[in-house]
Amino acid sequence: MKRYNIRIAGVGGQGVVTSAHILGNAMSAAGKYATLVPFFGSEKRMAPVEAYVRVSDQPIYEVGEVVYPNVIMIYHPQVITHGKSYTMPFYSGLKEGGMVIINTDVDIIPQEDWQILNELNTRVFNIPATKIALDVAGTELATNMAMLGVFFGITRLVGFEHIEQAVRERFLGNTFVASGGTTSLDSAIEKKFKKKMELLEKNMQVIKETFKIAEEKGWVEELALTN
Amino acid sequence: MGLEYVRISPGFERYMPKDYVDLVQYGQFGKEVDIQQLGQFKELVEEHPMCAGCFMAYFIRVFYAALPKPEDTIVIGTAGCARLALSQAAVPFIYGNYGDTNAVASGLKRALKIRFPNKPKDVVVIAGDGGLIDIGFGMTMHSWFRRENFTTIMVDNEVYGNTGGQESGMSPKGVQLKMAPKGKQFEKINAVELAKTAGCVYVAKLSPTNPKRIAKTVRRAVLAAREFGPTFIHAYTSCNIEYSIPTEKVLEDARKREKQDFGFYEWMTDEVKEFFEELERSPQEVKT
Amino acid sequence: MPEQRVVDADELILRTERQRKFITGAQAMAEAVKRANVDVAIAYPITPQSEVMHLVGDIWAQGYIRDYYRAEEEYGAMSAIAGAVRGGARAFSATSGPGLLRGLEAIASWPGHRIPVVLGVLTRVVNAPLSIQPDNVEISYLLNCGMVVLHAENQQDVFDFTLAGFVISEKVDVYIPVAVCTEGFFVTHAKGYVNITPEELKLPPRDPYKAPVPPTDCEIPPARIQRDAPVQKSNFMSYLIHAVWQQEIWSSNKRAMRYINHYLGGPIEVVNPGAEVFIVASGCAAAQGREAVRYANMEGLNVGLVKVKSIRPFPEKQVREVLSNAKAIIVPEHNIVGWLAKEVKACIPNSDAVIGGPRVYGGMTLPVELIMERVYDAFGIKKSKKVVV
Repeated sequence: MKRYNIRIAGVGGQGVVTSAHILGNAMSAAGKYATLVPFFGSEKRMAPVEAYVRVSDQPIYEVGEVVYPNVIMIYHPQVITHGKSYTMPFYSGLKEGGMVIINTDVDIIPQEDWQILNELNTRVFNIPATKIALDVAGTELATNMAMLGVFFGITRLVGFEHIEQAVRERFLGNTFVASGGTTSLDSAIEKKFKKKMELLEKNMQVIKETFKIAEEKGWVEELALTN
Repeated sequence: MGLEYVRISPGFERYMPKDYVDLVQYGQFGKEVDIQQLGQFKELVEEHPMCAGCFMAYFIRVFYAALPKPEDTIVIGTAGCARLALSQAAVPFIYGNYGDTNAVASGLKRALKIRFPNKPKDVVVIAGDGGLIDIGFGMTMHSWFRRENFTTIMVDNEVYGNTGGQESGMSPKGVQLKMAPKGKQFEKINAVELAKTAGCVYVAKLSPTNPKRIAKTVRRAVLAAREFGPTFIHAYTSCNIEYSIPTEKVLEDARKREKQDFGFYEWMTDEVKEFFEELERSPQEVKT
Repeated sequence: MPEQRVVDADELILRTERQRKFITGAQAMAEAVKRANVDVAIAYPITPQSEVMHLVGDIWAQGYIRDYYRAEEEYGAMSAIAGAVRGGARAFSATSGPGLLRGLEAIASWPGHRIPVVLGVLTRVVNAPLSIQPDNVEISYLLNCGMVVLHAENQQDVFDFTLAGFVISEKVDVYIPVAVCTEGFFVTHAKGYVNITPEELKLPPRDPYKAPVPPTDCEIPPARIQRDAPVQKSNFMSYLIHAVWQQEIWSSNKRAMRYINHYLGGPIEVVNPGAEVFIVASGCAAAQGREAVRYANMEGLNVGLVKVKSIRPFPEKQVREVLSNAKAIIVPEHNIVGWLAKEVKACIPNSDAVIGGPRVYGGMTLPVELIMERVYDAFGIKKSKKVVV
């Protein structure tokens, strides 16, 4: 398997760091490897946020921010259009043959940037993640899930069960175990649990939707198909 | 077991230095001495390289004679004149870095409490005005805030004597010293009030004119620290060199300052007061 | 808190069965402290270290440590550590960058005062402009103190070095402090897999009487050196006393090597010993070097790695031996001065082969790609910057 060095750029409130954790945990659930670099900056709504994930089926020793990514995920179009990013331009350090996944339904890359991306033999995938999140889950908070779905749809790094396990861990936590069925839980916990279950359900629907889109559009990586 | 290491192993008496044999036989270990008998028993410190006529040296001599349990006492000092005598005493002495006394004492006392929970081990800091109130100020204050169980004694000569006579925070306002060529620009720091505010349970200020009183104060400060919390003695110990006090006038100067700004002052918490009332009433304490 | 049982140091460190955990570097350090039978821990906040001493505080609250407090500042903390260790206790503290430098007057005196202790050094920028990010220039300030300086690559090293550090520092023929350094954030705040010893086993307590310099506890005669009469004077006797004392400190430092061999599998680790080009690195840079070796192998380039675990004592002989036929020696570092490159240059005859760098500082990450540029240079390969991995 190839090593993916992923840089996720978005804005505060989009769940950039949360989705980085889910991505890493899904790899871990699949018995593969991932390392995560938490971003140390001010955490403000709509301020630039970056997270870095390295994934592989081999142990990873490398530390620090991903300066030379081969995957860049842009969670908000303003990262490109308004320069809301710590790494400018948004493709800085991108390696040859890499990919860029952008949350948009129209092409927002300026002409001169396209030239460089083409020279680098970059694959660019535009996906209206926020729109899908709203349509499927009824909330734009699931934008990050839509982005994750399309990433896994393209790379096929892990199975659905691994993604679900990671999302479940994130929303239900390790401590929240509904053993013996919900009947044994009191109503307050049941209510809380029900809400969380709904959340989990909706998030998984979004992920499935964008995963499917990647397949329908023929974005799936050749390497992923041969595995 | 403090006395164990002091004692000479049987058969070795005639091989040990005379001074040491005297110290064990006629010294303070394991007994209470009367300060008024000073000169009639073997003292813990006798030789030292301090200046002739130094009143700090005199204060230190009385301090050692007043220790309630010298065989289980550790003295901590820092750079400055006092350590010249402290390092010569027959009591373990720790000479650390600049101004670190009260931090070292905090760690040491805590370690001794852990290792010897049922046996008092007294820790006493003796340092100068520079060490405690200038460079070590933060550590001095914080050891008090934390209510550490040891005694701090400031031997205040109002100058950096050992480094050649520079102004300290405890020098009186207006005095011309090195690094204060136009005279000191601010008042002498009120260390006693700082100690009270910071949480010391026993605070005293004195000019060493009366050995009996010095001894009583030192003893109280050590015992109160053992039982209740931080204690502090602010002692005026003039520098006859930097302040040009003729040797024969040193005591006169101490008396003069006692009348001016070093009148005997003693303050303690109610709890400590009760403790001493009880202790000093009991039969074995009658001789003081 | 589980009841802890004392086991022999060799048993605990080398032979007990370990469990795999996914924890941060800060957690790894605290877990080692938990198993080290520590008496006193003294804390003072500074990013990124604070995490370590928070966790150690929790361990104290749970009953694993006998005393713990938050000090006034680092000079006070490090001085109190000296006091506690002199009093016969086993002690621990940790600091970072500016805190290390603030405490350095006390720390630099520890070896001469014969203070066996472990100090965690979680590196961060010390020079202006102010930054909290990882940069390890502060380690260079420790190299001339006389203490043992270990540099951990990852969370596993942090655990192993810290636990073994207590044992090494208290060996009678060593008896000097051990600094366990690692990069802040990159290791302290990132998770990694760590094989740790069982929670219910701990090191034997410190025996302060098994010492070249006794504790100051009024139970045995104190050390003569603490009484300063001859040492403070300007005469040949005082020069001589100071000289022999410091010679002994540095000999003690060298003697630590046998225990580094015993407990840490030696002062260096070599990957691909027959290589033409070597990367020599310590701490996090060694992790990046490991990846560079992988990149290079994928491209058919014969590159090896020398990871230096012990900076003091510096493994001169071992480094010289491995590098004797090296065509080029690349020394990537997380600081501007290149202290490791200087150490390497000073101990090999072919010092021209040393390529000092790449160096990143101010907290920047050290991309493997930067190391690869030096690798290509060493092989005379001209490459465009478009590297596909």
